[in-house]
Amino acid sequence: MSPTFGAELLKLARSRVAHVATAVLVLAVPLLAVGFAAAAEHGGDSTLALKVRPMVPGHGWDAVTTTTGQVLTVAVLLAGGFVVSWVFGRELAQGTIEPLLTGRPSRAGIASAKLAVVTLWATAASVAAVAVALCLGLVLGTTAGSPWPGAARAVVGGVLAALLALPFGLVATWGRDALAGVGAVLGIVVVTQVVTVVGGGAWFPWAAPGLWLGMGGDGVVVSAWQLATAPLVAVAGWAATTWWWSRAELIGR
Amino acid sequence: MRDVTSSTPDTARDVPAVRATALARSFDDVAAVRGIDLEVRAGEVLALVGLNGAGKSTLLRLLVGLLRPGRGSAELWGSSAWGAPAAVRSRVAFVGSGDAYGELTVRENLHTAARLHGCTPRGAAHRADELLASLALDRWAARPARTLSDGNRRRLALAAAFVHDADLLVLDEPTNALDPAGVIEVRERVLARAAQGAAVLVSSHHLDEMARVATSIAVVHDGLLVGELPPDGVDLERQFFRTVHAAAGNVTPAESEGPR
Repeated sequence: MSPTFGAELLKLARSRVAHVATAVLVLAVPLLAVGFAAAAEHGGDSTLALKVRPMVPGHGWDAVTTTTGQVLTVAVLLAGGFVVSWVFGRELAQGTIEPLLTGRPSRAGIASAKLAVVTLWATAASVAAVAVALCLGLVLGTTAGSPWPGAARAVVGGVLAALLALPFGLVATWGRDALAGVGAVLGIVVVTQVVTVVGGGAWFPWAAPGLWLGMGGDGVVVSAWQLATAPLVAVAGWAATTWWWSRAELIGR
Repeated sequence: MRDVTSSTPDTARDVPAVRATALARSFDDVAAVRGIDLEVRAGEVLALVGLNGAGKSTLLRLLVGLLRPGRGSAELWGSSAWGAPAAVRSRVAFVGSGDAYGELTVRENLHTAARLHGCTPRGAAHRADELLASLALDRWAARPARTLSDGNRRRLALAAAFVHDADLLVLDEPTNALDPAGVIEVRERVLARAAQGAAVLVSSHHLDEMARVATSIAVVHDGLLVGELPPDGVDLERQFFRTVHAAAGNVTPAESEGPR
């Protein structure tokens, strides 16, 4: 493990932002999703069941894993966006950037290590969230169908959402504060909602993973090309972030 | 003047560790540094003194490559400081206004700093333990850095700069918030590194302390080097203010003395 990657991993492991975000993804998301699936399937005519039933596709494991994937894509975009914003923005806002930039690692290497650590964390959290959802499904006695295809799709959706969160590190760098990135994340969620409502969501990278997992209903089909816009955004964001970190004056006056 | 250069090999003294040539930098319409020439060679300790806002911190940031020169050049061993290669950066230790990572323990901060300066994991652990003891931080080694007092945070920043035996120490007001024991420890480390051949560039408001460590003392005022103080420690305050007042009034120090 490179010293730069190790340092970023340690900082993330110790950060309260990451602790809270991990708890939300690994505990809150599965509880919410499996709870919705259970209410839809076993809730009878209760108010909750009537409200969530249109949101929960299929039955049995299909309902559990698909709902988990749908909730996960939104949660990972938000949580990942907050974490990547903190990872970059705190260095500038808290004055830790000076010693960081006068060390041996290159500026591009530091930025890449930050992005790699966030990607790794979000991937691990997505896998853990789906695993917890499967455990909850077992506890609730879910038997119909197979959990694995839906579980794999949910993890892919979570990873794609994590990739879509990476560019917000650059926004936090520009704003010299984590809150700049957080604001941009919230803004993109609003824009995603609007674009989806007007029917352009499949080609909008931040909407594509959720629609692919069925958030738009059966009538919305997302192609592989449309889904591929998510990793393209990540690659472009990664390149732009390392380029900016290599060339910009990152310290305050 | 102290002579700390006698042990320095001549070959190492040929290329200055730091060279600024007509170095200038503005922020919007504020000229922070306005054309400074200076050199610091191996074994030399150059102290920069000046009033608040004189441009000392901006100058030091330019010299370590944290800021891009607006005009002129800043070089480290002949390489441009801005965008200096890793081999050059690894020879520099900088203590500025930067802070430690509050979520990491004191030991983790030092270990991380050592790793980022090229130490092996075992070497980094050894170095961290050594610095914890010598800078009296061992009591707080397992505590998060955010819980430290201002003085101990300063100690930690200094310790992080000493994790590798840098050939150039650039210290921006290193003794701020330190207790007398910390000031002495910093002084001894600076003198020891200079005696071993490191170049040192240090800014401070503590004139007497600078006289104890510096081989030369330069006065910075309004973004310019406006004079030198004798590093023998005699009558420093009076000479400092005379130099600054002369610069502010655009008259020479001799003229500013006037009839008494």
